[in-house]
Amino acid sequence: MTREEVFETLTEIFQDVFDDDEIELTDATTADDIEDWDSLEQINLVVACEKKFNVKFDMKEIQSLKNVGEMVDTILAKL
Amino acid sequence: MNNYSFDELSVGMSEDFEVTITSEMLENFKAITGDVNPLHNDEEFAHSKGHPGRVAFGMLTASFLSTLAGVYLPGEKSLIQQVETKFANPVYIGDVLTVKGEITELIESVQRLELKVTITNQNGKKVLRGKMQILVV
Repeated sequence: MTREEVFETLTEIFQDVFDDDEIELTDATTADDIEDWDSLEQINLVVACEKKFNVKFDMKEIQSLKNVGEMVDTILAKL
Repeated sequence: MNNYSFDELSVGMSEDFEVTITSEMLENFKAITGDVNPLHNDEEFAHSKGHPGRVAFGMLTASFLSTLAGVYLPGEKSLIQQVETKFANPVYIGDVLTVKGEITELIESVQRLELKVTITNQNGKKVLRGKMQILVV
């Protein structure tokens, strides 16, 4: 999978989790940019990513993620 | 009270308990929530709608899911995150309900379990079906 493909799939995951087809992500997107991105949805995002990409995260990784770009890179490194 | 840690849990594990619905429960629920809808509070009205008696609040039935998670599975370490429920059949005063949860998924990274939940009455009829996502903290 290329970085672009991961990005595209991650966008679909975000749109699904937040039930909002208008969501567009950039590397710099953070929880401050998406109104409902709270601790509950953070967990739902992680679970959705694990299922979609067939990867596993650990707690430290999850807590250290600062923006969407870091999420993409973390997923890419596991594929 | 159970006190399972995440590592002690496995898919397929289940817990259940019984509870009998009483008129006092309906009165208390009305007092707490302010839901004065006559279907739950007026015997005649409930009869006029084809029920044998007052219908228990669906959310009263669902409230036992709190006990299921907080006392039984996983117990003390429970932090309920999400609950989805369907109210499949009415519940009446005197009904003896069996509240059951079975683990269908464990997500290690976020220490979360998914419970398939069912509440069944004394006739074996499901009155509630649903899913819960619970953190083990």
